[in-house]
Amino acid sequence: MLKSTFTPIYLVLSPKPKSPKLSSHIITNTFSNSTQPVRQNSSLKHTPSSAYVHLPFCRKRCHYCDFPIVALGSASTQTQNDPRVSNYIQWLCREINATKIDEENTNTPLQTVFFGGGTPSLVPPTMVSSVLETLRNKFGLSQSAEISMEMDPGTFDYKKMQEMMLLGVNRVSLGVQAFQEKLLRSCGRAHGLKEVHEAIDIVKSCGVENWSIDLIASLPHQTSDMWEESLRLAIEAQPTHVSVYDLQIEQGTKFGRMYAPGEFPLPCETQSAEFYKMASRMLGDANYNHYEISSYCKSGYECRHNYTYWKNKPFYAFGLGSTSFVGGLRFSRPKMVNEYMNFVQNLENGSVNSSSDNDIHGKDTAMDVVMLSLRTARGLDLKRFGESFGSSLVLSLLEAYKPYVESEHVVFLDEQRITIGIDDVKNAHLDETNSERRVAYIRLSDPNGFLLSNELIALAFGVIDS
Amino acid sequence: MGYLRKASKTLKQSNYVSLLFNFNLTHQRFSLNRALFCTQSRQNNTKEKPVIDLSQYPPELVRNFSIIAHVDHGKSTLADRLLELTGTIKKGLGQPQYLDKLQVERERGITVKAQTATMFYKNIINGDDGKESPNYLLNLIDTPGHVDFSYEVSRSLAACQGVLLVVDAAQGVQAQTVANFYLAFESNLSIIPVINKIDQPTADPDRVKAQLKSMFDLDPSDALLTSAKTGKGLEQVLPAVIERIPPPHGRSESSLRMLLLDSYYDEYKGVICHVAVVDGALRKGDKISSAATGRSYEALDIGIMHPELTSTGVLLTGQVGYVISGMRSTKEARVGDTIYHTRSEGPVEPLPGFKPAKHMVFSGLYPADGSDFEALNHAIERLTCNDASVSVAKETSTALGLGFRCGFLGLLHMDVFHQRLEQEYGAHIISTVPTVPYIYEYSDGSKLEVQNPASLPSNPKQRVVACWEPTVIATIVIPSEYVGPVITLVSERRGQQLEHSFIDSQRAFMKYRIPLREIVVDFYNELKSITSGYASFDYEDSDYQPSDLVKLDILLNGQPVDAMATIVHNSKAYRVGRELVEKLKKVIDRQMFEISIQAAIGSKIVARETITAMRKNVLAKCYGGDITRKRKLLEKQKEGKKRMKRVGSVDIPQEAFHELLKVS
Repeated sequence: MLKSTFTPIYLVLSPKPKSPKLSSHIITNTFSNSTQPVRQNSSLKHTPSSAYVHLPFCRKRCHYCDFPIVALGSASTQTQNDPRVSNYIQWLCREINATKIDEENTNTPLQTVFFGGGTPSLVPPTMVSSVLETLRNKFGLSQSAEISMEMDPGTFDYKKMQEMMLLGVNRVSLGVQAFQEKLLRSCGRAHGLKEVHEAIDIVKSCGVENWSIDLIASLPHQTSDMWEESLRLAIEAQPTHVSVYDLQIEQGTKFGRMYAPGEFPLPCETQSAEFYKMASRMLGDANYNHYEISSYCKSGYECRHNYTYWKNKPFYAFGLGSTSFVGGLRFSRPKMVNEYMNFVQNLENGSVNSSSDNDIHGKDTAMDVVMLSLRTARGLDLKRFGESFGSSLVLSLLEAYKPYVESEHVVFLDEQRITIGIDDVKNAHLDETNSERRVAYIRLSDPNGFLLSNELIALAFGVIDS
Repeated sequence: MGYLRKASKTLKQSNYVSLLFNFNLTHQRFSLNRALFCTQSRQNNTKEKPVIDLSQYPPELVRNFSIIAHVDHGKSTLADRLLELTGTIKKGLGQPQYLDKLQVERERGITVKAQTATMFYKNIINGDDGKESPNYLLNLIDTPGHVDFSYEVSRSLAACQGVLLVVDAAQGVQAQTVANFYLAFESNLSIIPVINKIDQPTADPDRVKAQLKSMFDLDPSDALLTSAKTGKGLEQVLPAVIERIPPPHGRSESSLRMLLLDSYYDEYKGVICHVAVVDGALRKGDKISSAATGRSYEALDIGIMHPELTSTGVLLTGQVGYVISGMRSTKEARVGDTIYHTRSEGPVEPLPGFKPAKHMVFSGLYPADGSDFEALNHAIERLTCNDASVSVAKETSTALGLGFRCGFLGLLHMDVFHQRLEQEYGAHIISTVPTVPYIYEYSDGSKLEVQNPASLPSNPKQRVVACWEPTVIATIVIPSEYVGPVITLVSERRGQQLEHSFIDSQRAFMKYRIPLREIVVDFYNELKSITSGYASFDYEDSDYQPSDLVKLDILLNGQPVDAMATIVHNSKAYRVGRELVEKLKKVIDRQMFEISIQAAIGSKIVARETITAMRKNVLAKCYGGDITRKRKLLEKQKEGKKRMKRVGSVDIPQEAFHELLKVS
């Protein structure tokens, strides 16, 4: 580079600002649908109404996992008296209490809470209770709040499930991953197939209405038949939600040392793509909506908490290694327990702050919005995007995606969410003023567009950055 | 490209150093010497009262000479030693290869710009007869040795009356020795053979003497034996220069005529011209004019290179030095130009031999990052300030955007220009495959000189009736056992043998006519590799010859990539097409669409490969904690895309262009 070619991004993004008072804070409005108009419009500043709580304990580390976890040992199913757990819960509650809140917006109770991990179901219900109490006292907790918990087979029984439900847990995300003993073992899960079936029975017999089965595709040695079987058995269990994750080989994990993506015993790219398509087809046939790249649900059972992420709304996060998004700042907590405790102390004595009041960079926000919304079936709402980032950027995006409409990777939708045909797209000037059927949404097609989402999103990044 | 890396030590511009030295130091000389080493601070005084009185050196006490040699035969070291011997530079001070000032010259052991140095020397050998020997003024004109700069070399040699022909005592006569000898011989210069590096264990001076006799008819007893490294034999060199090389034959009483040897651009002083005064005299403040451009200037500062700029206020007949005259760009200072007094009495006949630069190799230069066009533009402007022999024209490529079509004197010149752009200006460039200027003739009688294959219509309206391509006469010197493989290589390159003889029992000498196009890409590397590095190679421009040429287009998904078009001989079109297509298949990544890569002559496809579409590129999970990380990943992917060049819907990585340079 002989000279800097940096251009302040706001010049590019809003050559003709429609409303000068729009600040980057409005960006979080981009995806708000009409269900909560009053609250959304009441203030440009948003207090989070979602909280993620990290409970890092696991019996052992799975071979693919690079999350911040604390392995307790395979024998640990009773954690009531484990000081590592009780101490952590204390620090967690201290963190919640020390978190600064916006005094003007204290009347927004939490609408979703998500216990993720780790294996949250390893934590004794009494301790979960104290966390929920702390949250309720600090932020308020809506009566209708969605309270999700990740639970692993073999870590809970009927009684524990019932206790969790009594505390308010009303959504379970069951980490099944595979329905083959051999695969469970080869990816280092702490449970076998028997525990999987038991766990499904417990969840169903306890009457958890809203629950999800999590599956992993493209595991080593996984065949097409195995994957079909896993999908079939998942569907037969009749959860309201299915998450299908594609195995990512992460550096520093056991798999990362053993395998290279696309090489045996991992399925090749073509096969892996077939797995994805198979999931989309089978789950679709069983009336699950493919509402996000890796999420399927029966109508009305979208994970409300995850939608917070995908709509780029703010959220709190508490616990080891967790990331919050408050006041436009994505803040990641330390991943090591000792450093985490230091952080909590600093938070208590006011020497660190996990939120921000600063405006975030327009370009960064635009990229976040595009990246997250294009993961969903709803897609990118161009009207709101244009209001926040300028209509010229919308036109550039449409122009960039045009060829991909023809190749059926991208779908343009009108206000009524009716697909705009390729001929109309080709002929359209894409100028909102004279186009009768204005393009209102851009989404990626299922499954072809979703499968190449990285390419397509990176393309949009190029447009935003140019 | 690594091309012709070792082909020569001196590319361009004369290095002449005035060697000021006197063995019997007088008081006067001593003070003069002291003055030398603080040139900068002394400058103001000099304007008032020149310390060096050039009037003491009439032509008969002046010798102008050059050192010519094959690369690595010790030319630069010998020059260093002569400068030290005359006290022009202090021994052990200053960098080795004193006259090679550019980084690229030092790295490659070549001379790109000519330099001059003035030395002062008292001949002690002549002093034996009791009569005090006079002081001599010796001008060493260091010329580029490479054929790309043969015009500059011939201009530099035109200012000399003799040369030191340096030959490595172990390696013997090499291709460039031959080429350089003939340049000097044809200029009627006195030739002093110097067999150098005699300290080497493998040195065989007698064999080299025999070679000089058989190849050049040089008398073995005339050869000086030296080791510039140990200093052995060096004392004979300058006396031989004085005795065997005649003084310059200019006429002092005539009107001023100066030969412009080279020029360079100095940030502070502007254009500095190296000149040789052939007739008459130049004084500070004189009004001077260029015969080539007709422009007039004032001689603002005049002096000698001793070894740095040293004002003398005057340059007399036969002397060599510099002139600063307020030229704004080296484009005004044409090598070989004649400079004369604006108000000369009567017409001034320009010195013979001036011709404008002839561009033999062209390539497109584009910024690696499209947004850097302005920066590249600036860098090229600055660099051409110092190297006016490059022709530059803006051009546009659909694949590479805005860029430049540059014409070079030859391959090495091109290579050096690229390297200087990167080293001295930090420019990151994509270069298209170098091409040579072809001439096409159409049925309506029109002729087209094609400097860029993309500009040649793939399906012309008029029928092509003939095409011509430039050829070169190549000189190859190799150990005899490699004759077979070399003949095979050269005939693959459509070479036509003109001469095949032996320098001695171990060394073969071959002359070929080869189409220039065939040596533009990778010939020298290939030659080196099949001869274990023993081949030496040189070439000179020759005629245009009729040839059966076709334009080979590269198409991605049916769309031609202009920057990849090339012109090849019909007999090679299929092979080159296949190679290009295979190379591209390896370097272009899978993309969202299937990509077809085709090589075509007109509408005829001669090679095809397909890159299947990418099947999957998705991040399965994206939750709160992942967002930043995932975004960074995608941004990285975006950055990767940004660096690529786009044709239609296909992203082409920059490496693709670099790879294509390697297909012959």
